[in-house]
Amino acid sequence: MLTLYSQDKTGFKLEMYDMDFSEAADRISRKFSKSGQTPDPQKIESKLRRLVQEFGVQPSEAERSVTNELAKEFNIPLPGSGGAAKSGGGTEEKKIAEAVSGEWVTIVGKIVSLSPPASPAIAQSGIIADESGAIRFVAWAKANAPAMTEGTWYRIESAVVDEYKDVPNLKIHSGTTIKELGEDRALIPNPDPIKGLHPGIGSVRAKVVQEWDASHERMLQSGLLGDETGTVKFVIWKEQGKEKLAVGAVYNIFYAQVDEFNGRLSLNLNPATILQEEGDIPVSGGETMFRGALVHIAPGSGIIKRCPVEGCNRALSRQNYCPVHEIQPKFIYDLRIKGWLDDGEKTHSILLQRDAVEVLTGINLDAAKEIAENNPLGMDEVFLQMRDKVLGRYITCHGREIDNRLLVNKCERSSFESGEHARLLNRAGGAS
Amino acid sequence: MSTNSGETGRREGSFEREPARRVFAGELRECRYQFKDGEDEKSPTFALLPTGERCNRIFLVGTLTEKQRQGDQNVFYRGRVVDPSGTFFVMAGSYQPEAMQQLAKIETPAFVAVIGKPNLYQKPDGSFLVSVRVESITIVDKDTRDLWVLDAAERTLDRIEACAAGTAPDVIKAKEQYPTIDPAVFRKMAYDALAQITM
Repeated sequence: MLTLYSQDKTGFKLEMYDMDFSEAADRISRKFSKSGQTPDPQKIESKLRRLVQEFGVQPSEAERSVTNELAKEFNIPLPGSGGAAKSGGGTEEKKIAEAVSGEWVTIVGKIVSLSPPASPAIAQSGIIADESGAIRFVAWAKANAPAMTEGTWYRIESAVVDEYKDVPNLKIHSGTTIKELGEDRALIPNPDPIKGLHPGIGSVRAKVVQEWDASHERMLQSGLLGDETGTVKFVIWKEQGKEKLAVGAVYNIFYAQVDEFNGRLSLNLNPATILQEEGDIPVSGGETMFRGALVHIAPGSGIIKRCPVEGCNRALSRQNYCPVHEIQPKFIYDLRIKGWLDDGEKTHSILLQRDAVEVLTGINLDAAKEIAENNPLGMDEVFLQMRDKVLGRYITCHGREIDNRLLVNKCERSSFESGEHARLLNRAGGAS
Repeated sequence: MSTNSGETGRREGSFEREPARRVFAGELRECRYQFKDGEDEKSPTFALLPTGERCNRIFLVGTLTEKQRQGDQNVFYRGRVVDPSGTFFVMAGSYQPEAMQQLAKIETPAFVAVIGKPNLYQKPDGSFLVSVRVESITIVDKDTRDLWVLDAAERTLDRIEACAAGTAPDVIKAKEQYPTIDPAVFRKMAYDALAQITM
């Protein structure tokens, strides 16, 4: 497929045909190699070439008939190879949610979104959905497929599922048959819990909890969406007719693109249908709890100075330098602990905010200021005293998890429970 | 603040820190197999526990009973930390200045919490020694020690069960490397450790 992209638009028609043939031949032989047969791709290619160039057969029809011929030869029943007379006969339909990368599929679905093609080699791209789920699709320009309309149901026979940027993608090629269905069923996707999203297409019912500064000039808006189960980053790119979401409002977002980057998910709302909803929903904000031992306290913990400029609040360097507002002699003191909480299976990055630090260390902001200002080691002394009070201790932290870090607003030391002790004695003493 | 912490979170979140395993001294001292995960110079080194789990880092709580300063040019400290099942040998050298200073300051005996990396050595007489290179060591109270015994017992029992199921690659490797060790002995060890906790 990659060669396709490198092919210049001005490439000779003959070349395009050449590629088409070997690609189709590969497709066919792959289909059979799954059943343990090894047809010769060159032979297939020459058969296809003969049908198309000498007999003027449509490429899709040629592919179908060569596939059929081989199926007969190997005595394998093939779905989607019904032959010209009864095209589509014997083709098994699949639910979109069941489509697996590397498979040939026939699906019935509704075009829920069309997006501008990213390359001249692509005729159409968008999202097709059924009751089970949704998938991105791409129709290649040389597939000569009929243009599909948004909001219409189609039966798509013999398309191929592959992965593009780790996301399943339905490819409509010259061997694919598309039929418009007269019916129009309403299709309303069930929202996915944010915690359950995975790369591909997802629908959520969520509240805009934060709006961030745009980090790119093509970006219309980015921020954080939340529901009861967690939060996820979203982005809307500048495009005709796209509007910003309102912070604090609740939206039904159907068929957004779920991307994964560095292990973190992000929702691209450009292809999505967005409906604002009245009222409010509870947002967990990733409200979670971790229990474990505090195994590391990072530099920058203890007492810190923050930039006093309104809305900034950045941590200052030792020289009272703010990365944005430069030297700030009238800084504000604050407490925090950055560290790692470890339960023996997984280590969580945590950030304790001032209240949590005061409770855990027993050192409040005033006491910490006192230590920092009257001690030869200054702020380092606060760090050392706090470290000795909390490092290696078992604690329970409550807070919101954002970007793989728990922002802790409440935490407590774990205490020994005799019930737990008895349970473990039983477990260890039980069947050996 | 929100965007600021978001950015630092992204940077640190993209890397997974090796968890600190909970293991009793009685099991750790049986380790005879250590391996590198990957070809890279910086690939982490793991000691394989006889119950079939790899550990690059451990967390232990016990009583520091002895400590000793050694070396002239390259000063380092050795210590013995005792748990209900045996003794951990810990050390901190000039490559871990913070840990070394922490260890130097502690008066024995004391309950200590240690985060460190296990290392396997073969002595000239052919016997093996597992020592723990300290990343940090702090004085803790008895409550923390007791919590750790519960924690280590629970994790040990979890490993014994996973080992009995016998499907994980590290479990299979452990069975190859430690053919004479029956993981059931560590169940008894965990029970004895729990039984030593007095109210």
